[in-house]
Amino acid sequence: MKSLVLPSNRTEGWRWSDLSRLPEFAESEPTRIAPEVLPWLDIPGPRLLFVDGRLDHSRSDPGPVEIGDVDGEAIDHPLARHAGRHGWKLILGPDHATADPVQIVHATTGAADHLAAEILLGSGAQASILETFVGAGWANRATSIRLAKGARLMLNRRALGDTGFISLTDQAAVGEGASFVSVCLAAGGRDTRLDAAITLTGTEAYAEAGGALLARGRQRHDINLVLRHDQPAGMSRQLWRSVADDMSACSVAARVEVARDAQKTDGEQSLKGILLSRGATINAKPELEIFADDVKCAHGATVGELDRNALFYLESRGISPDDATALLTRAFVADALDRIGEEAVRAAFYDDGEAWFGGRE
Amino acid sequence: MLKIDNLHATVDGKAILKGISLELNPGEIHAIMGPNGSGKSTLSYVLAGRPGYEVTEGSVTFEGEDLLALEPHERAARGLFLGFQYPVEIPGVSNVQFLRTALNAQRRARGEAELSAGEFLRIAREQAAALGFDMDMMKRGVNVGFSGGEKKRNEMVQMGIIDPRLAVLDETDSGLDIDALRVVGTGINRIMRRPDKAVLLITHYQRLLDLVEPDFVHVLAGGRIVRSGGPELAHALEREGYGALTETAA
Repeated sequence: MKSLVLPSNRTEGWRWSDLSRLPEFAESEPTRIAPEVLPWLDIPGPRLLFVDGRLDHSRSDPGPVEIGDVDGEAIDHPLARHAGRHGWKLILGPDHATADPVQIVHATTGAADHLAAEILLGSGAQASILETFVGAGWANRATSIRLAKGARLMLNRRALGDTGFISLTDQAAVGEGASFVSVCLAAGGRDTRLDAAITLTGTEAYAEAGGALLARGRQRHDINLVLRHDQPAGMSRQLWRSVADDMSACSVAARVEVARDAQKTDGEQSLKGILLSRGATINAKPELEIFADDVKCAHGATVGELDRNALFYLESRGISPDDATALLTRAFVADALDRIGEEAVRAAFYDDGEAWFGGRE
Repeated sequence: MLKIDNLHATVDGKAILKGISLELNPGEIHAIMGPNGSGKSTLSYVLAGRPGYEVTEGSVTFEGEDLLALEPHERAARGLFLGFQYPVEIPGVSNVQFLRTALNAQRRARGEAELSAGEFLRIAREQAAALGFDMDMMKRGVNVGFSGGEKKRNEMVQMGIIDPRLAVLDETDSGLDIDALRVVGTGINRIMRRPDKAVLLITHYQRLLDLVEPDFVHVLAGGRIVRSGGPELAHALEREGYGALTETAA
């Protein structure tokens, strides 16, 4: 690993992330002991357990996923740069499909781990991947994604665990008529940072990037998305729901870029936040950069508190203030999680949300 | 059962209730009538504990307990139900989920066993059917996209499921057509007309009182009860209007 050079929070894109503990994790020794009970979903399909960035063969069944050096261009990003070139690869030929979601659990045991990943889907291929992050420490990931004509990828991530930092950097190229849908849930005790650059490189491509960020204490969740329409008739959706309690902060900066040739683009952004306490912060930063003239781009950003009338209505029926708050907040977050197609995966995300609300003081 | 004594309350620092005294015994239905702005809704909100409604003087006891010292959800668990004049829409929370959570929270608070999903659905189906309320609407978001009449009917379905001891119904008849009014009126009688229950029925009009016959009628004006009487008082109001009655009282 290269020496740890981190961006300063004086840089605009890094104002909200707290990277101060990363050097400490980088110098720590991991215990390398993964928990006995891991958050696997009880469904068939390939399973990969990475403990501190290394595949635990005894507890994995990688199926079509290979381990090795990733090809393709390195992602130019201050954190992705540290992720290295070694990792997992899912390469599917034309019209191949994973029958069941590929489950990947990343367990970090107190230090820093880095891993690259590559997802290449041939024309008409289909895959669904669920990544779950547990443990304590810094997990740093860089993922390259290329979808050929008509390919479909569903990529869902759960940021769980106790303390530390999870940084994910994605770079995706979505080809003609291909579809890339990703949903991210931050419902643990760790800070998260997601940087994604998604480019619709073919006509009539579809991309969706969204999720739910739940933060408490002094936690920070920081999302930085650039969704670029390079070709005509593409469609993109960005739907984020943030919930910030105590002194925490959730930030979502989401940009849609529409190139001169990308006529008939249809883009939509919805960034909403709920503040559960006076000391919490939510930043919603929708951005549009449009060079084509025949496009439809809608964006909405709202930050507020829970509806007092609704709270009283629930309480007047016997529901305690805490439970009423949880019920309304869950409903608010559900918008984002309902984008997940597979029922078992969606149910697991709901359960994680429940667990988060259950831990609210 | 419910004893209101010299109740004064303010909203945004403005005095709305100026000394209300009223006692409801088990088995009684009391109607409160009165012109707009007389404090009828304020009384219902004060009883349910809505934030922003401040009691400045007087007391309210329910079954001998200081009602005003309890949080809204605790009042509900003791058996108080408020039928809202304007029921609130809650997107993303289904009626079924809402009511099961509410009913089980109340049961927990009373030390009773919680109901399973199956047991709850049986009760919900029964009550919805009795009020001509489609079970599909029970699965939809609370009051989302419901017409005014459907919202009021939903309040009654909720009352049937929760089965309270004391219901404060704030203009449950407003916005209802004749048929819906009959369904709601029948529902109130069926659910609440019991020797161990009581109802405080807030209304503008006689027509609900033709269906749910009150034992007592009170006229509220200017934050005070200015007249009390039997059902005949409601008829007199219908004939002569509030003006005449509140003036003679003053």
